[in-house]
Amino acid sequence: MVAYKCARCKQLVEIGTNIRCPYCGHRILFKARGAGTKELKAR
Amino acid sequence: MDLVFSRLDDSVARFTIHGATPAFANALRRSMIGEVPTLAIEDIRIYDNTSVLFDEMLAHRLGLIPIKTDLSQYVPRSECSCGGEGCPHCTVMFTLSVEGPKMVTSGDLISMDENIVPVHNNIPIVKLWENQKVVLEAVAEVNYGKEHAKWQPTLACGYSEYPVITIKDTCDGCGKCVAECPRDVLELTKDTVSIRVVNGESKEKDCSLCRLCETACMDSGIGQDPAINISSDSTKFIFVVESDGSLPVKEIIERALLHIKSRSSDLIEALQEGL
Repeated sequence: MVAYKCARCKQLVEIGTNIRCPYCGHRILFKARGAGTKELKAR
Repeated sequence: MDLVFSRLDDSVARFTIHGATPAFANALRRSMIGEVPTLAIEDIRIYDNTSVLFDEMLAHRLGLIPIKTDLSQYVPRSECSCGGEGCPHCTVMFTLSVEGPKMVTSGDLISMDENIVPVHNNIPIVKLWENQKVVLEAVAEVNYGKEHAKWQPTLACGYSEYPVITIKDTCDGCGKCVAECPRDVLELTKDTVSIRVVNGESKEKDCSLCRLCETACMDSGIGQDPAINISSDSTKFIFVVESDGSLPVKEIIERALLHIKSRSSDLIEALQEGL
């Protein structure tokens, strides 16, 4: 499951049927960065 | 074939080739752009990036930073004895670990080899605000411009045919062509139009072949045939080569010519084997 972060209360949330923070009701969520490293080509 | 340099320093060369063909001039141009290897960042491992730029944009910007290259120490990865796995003979590791608020520049990249550093230290990469940080490792490798433009050692690299300006006896010295010339190539002295000479050097080669002088001459009412004629010599070429700083221009030209020579030798060998 992809984790999202609420833009207002900074809580980690999971997206269900509604795009809305279950803690504060805010509708702007950011996709949280994964813990691992990311390898990519400089192109 | 003759090569006459009018300017040669580490970053820019301007020279004329006499007795060449357009095919050879283009081969040299393409060889300088695509067949001279340089170092550029290729593989990036991002540990943390909380900046406003996506990882991909950050990686792309890092790849375009010109890096000083020493081709006596480093070889292209595809030709290295490591078989392309990456070793100290074909790759250089850089690290970048910066916290905001700060403008991250190429000077913040820390190289594992003190001789291999970015050409300029003030190339902006990303601007960090408070509590933002970037932590990454970047591996630069030697490769060719034909693979990707980031490995091109040249910036401006091109040629033009040598201009030939002919002023006929029918010229009435009205001076309209002199006034029209945007490059100040012509001059009018005692009702005679001639090619300007500055410090003992003719300005003929500065002509851009725009033919505005021909048009001005025709507009002066001289008739159907203009008194000044602009053409070009297809056996003489004016080259302008600018380096991005990764290699000196002289080395770029030398290596490009050696590449043409080695490709020609390969072709002769293949031909002899085939017969």
